[in-house]
Amino acid sequence: MADPRTFRLRVRYAKTGRLAMLSHLEVTHALERIVRRSGLPFALSQGFSPHMKLAFGPALPVGVGGSEEVFDVTLVSYVAAEKALVSLQEAAPPDLWPEHAAYVEPASAAASVAFTVSTYEVELDRALRQLIAPDQVTVVRKGKKKVLQVADFLVGEPVWDGRCVRFTLRSGEAGSLRADAFARECLKLSAQGCEPFQIRRFMRTALA
Amino acid sequence: MTRSDIWADVAPLLRGVERPGRYAGSEWGAHRPPRDGFAFCMVYPDTYELGQANQAVRILVNRVNATPGMVAERAYLPAADMADAMRDANVPLFSLENTTPLREFDCIGITLPHELCATNVLEVLSLAGVAVASEDRTEDDPIIIGGGPCASNPEPYVRAFDAILIGEGEESVPEVLAAIKEGRAQGQERAQILKALAQIEGTYVPALHDPNAEPAPHVRKRVFEGFAIADPWEPMVVPFVECVHDRLNIEVLRGCSRGCRFCQAGMIYRPVRERPADAIISAVERGVAETGYEEVSLTSLSTTDHSQIADILKRLNARFAGTGVRVSIPSQRLDAFGVSMADAVAGQKRGGLTFAPEAGTQRLRDVINKNVTEEDLMEAVKAAMGAGWQRMKLYFMIGLPTETDEDVAQIGHLADKAFELMRTLTPPEARGRLKMTVAVNVFVPKAHTPFQWDGQITPEEARRRVGLIRHAVRAKAVRVDYHEPKTSLLEAVMSRGGREVALLVEEAWKRGARFDAWTEHFSEDAWHEAARALGLDMEAVAHRRLDVADPLPWDHIDSGVTKSFLVRERSRALAGQTTEDCTFSACSACGICAPEGPRIVLQEERGIHG
Ligand code: SF4
Repeated sequence: MADPRTFRLRVRYAKTGRLAMLSHLEVTHALERIVRRSGLPFALSQGFSPHMKLAFGPALPVGVGGSEEVFDVTLVSYVAAEKALVSLQEAAPPDLWPEHAAYVEPASAAASVAFTVSTYEVELDRALRQLIAPDQVTVVRKGKKKVLQVADFLVGEPVWDGRCVRFTLRSGEAGSLRADAFARECLKLSAQGCEPFQIRRFMRTALA
Repeated sequence: MTRSDIWADVAPLLRGVERPGRYAGSEWGAHRPPRDGFAFCMVYPDTYELGQANQAVRILVNRVNATPGMVAERAYLPAADMADAMRDANVPLFSLENTTPLREFDCIGITLPHELCATNVLEVLSLAGVAVASEDRTEDDPIIIGGGPCASNPEPYVRAFDAILIGEGEESVPEVLAAIKEGRAQGQERAQILKALAQIEGTYVPALHDPNAEPAPHVRKRVFEGFAIADPWEPMVVPFVECVHDRLNIEVLRGCSRGCRFCQAGMIYRPVRERPADAIISAVERGVAETGYEEVSLTSLSTTDHSQIADILKRLNARFAGTGVRVSIPSQRLDAFGVSMADAVAGQKRGGLTFAPEAGTQRLRDVINKNVTEEDLMEAVKAAMGAGWQRMKLYFMIGLPTETDEDVAQIGHLADKAFELMRTLTPPEARGRLKMTVAVNVFVPKAHTPFQWDGQITPEEARRRVGLIRHAVRAKAVRVDYHEPKTSLLEAVMSRGGREVALLVEEAWKRGARFDAWTEHFSEDAWHEAARALGLDMEAVAHRRLDVADPLPWDHIDSGVTKSFLVRERSRALAGQTTEDCTFSACSACGICAPEGPRIVLQEERGIHG
């Protein structure tokens, strides 16, 4: 149950540049420290070792940036959203940049469950001549191989334009398909015996 | 000339290596200086995770950046996968701030935090594209300087470094850099610059110092006398990647004069200098606000000895109540006061309580001057049980000078006795949760200590003595923890070897030795092959017992603590006589304090705490 005396601030931020190399866990630690440095009146959980109440959007793999990333922070007193944003920006490195902040309804879904559809853009070292998406992707989880059916996750068809590939994945009951694993398979099939493609930039450009 | 930024060459490698975030820089608190003008690169010779929190790197980068006309950046040794990828792609070692190749810096400084990083120093230089031996460097190469705790016996490192700075670097590093800058500006040759460096107090230039010359060279350790009045808030970099000691570290005092006779830090960081409580508290407040850390550690060799520690912890706890910020102290004194201080810092109970009696009998504890009694230990156990701890860890050393089988067996009996007390103080239904660990390490003789003349025991002997402890322990819940360290021989060799060991390091590195401190990387074979090739007997270096009249390889390094004090301490040790801590009682004339020189700084009288 949401505490009616608290305020949930949803922050949109960008993970870019060198910091695209951070893992999800590293990003969550960094965001927590940004909130602490910002001086905002963040809420702490109850219990023996209290921690900051944060909720994060779906994880990004190492090496993948994002322009529309999101996290929620719960505040114990109201601070105008624009003012909160400025405080966060003052405490943030440029490559992990809060772009927008707004309050969300206490009853609405947390950032950790509210977003299920991700659109990615991959920039390569050279133009593609064809784009072939795999039907299945084999991933290794906790030492076990697992075969994922791409159709369970892929929304529409991947498209390409010169050196740029775009695709959208959905997560749901079947779990989720890692964007980097999917892209790797696509590029392997699409290179077809030629030099493997090099990834120059990999971004999540939309989250819904 | 503008230094280059090779991020474009580095970035593609990062997609194929583990935890690439550690090579990306851009951390909070890191500053990207301009890429021209005189520049220094401070290197930690191990991975980023291990070195990020290193105090020397943090302080010296700050000091150099605060000196007009020079800038500093940082670098770490890449993990093996990245180092290999860099070699394959011909990418040289780079600094984190500007991704500048190390060889473009005017000076590279490498700290020597422990005895097992010597081959890593060579790995750093080789990845940087700089000749690994000082004598092979050309006029265009950066000047390579070293320093840190292991520099107190610099001989095993003399081939790699152009100059080695002895003691605390706060003032000497900017002085040395200013001299290099000056020399470069005047177009001087390397040899001339090194001559100028040798004139700076505390600077050892191996090429100019022949240890066998008459009169013998003499290099005096530097002490940062302004330590106590300097702001304890030392700006710091907050890493993205999880690192060791990843928290807000505030250095509250320097030095420790309890005088444990095996402890090098206790000898080389004298005299004790405390920082004032008020300054410490404002430094913590500022640090928490600027870093966003939720964990604060008050660091030093003996934090609980600070004359104002009870007051400091009380005020910090009050200040941060309800904010989620936790304060911790690294080491507890083995007595009831130590426990009450540990109890004053919240959240440490989950980790259990750790004490270091070091030896099993009062006789041997007197020999090593570990001024704790069995009663202290039992009082500490009582206090710990009263405060709700359920796990204890006791550290012991084996192979200490004069140790007998009786001393060793008593380690087991003492642990049993302490555990029995834990049990009687705990209600029967909760006794199942009680645990005690006895951690056993092999004594490594260290330069500049009263035990520098004593040899190390052999691995077979160490195994036998651990067997005695295991045999002596009765209680099932007492676990004896001993990992046979293949590296302790090497530690002893690095700690007390002479110039011949510098060549050994180079030969071992050529045979593939690197990351010697990492069990999964340590290559015993590389070292033994190198020793064989050079006809050097590593065992003899480690195990030989010297006479106090014998010359020592580090005799030319003056730690401020006189050799006559060490000799005196050694004879007191053999006579079973203890020496009191001069910060609690009278001066024992170790030699470091001088009318003009450094002085002990205490904020209040240190006394018996209640
Ligand atoms: S000279 Fe005396 S007072 Fe100074 S550190 Fe040594 S023993 Fe202590």
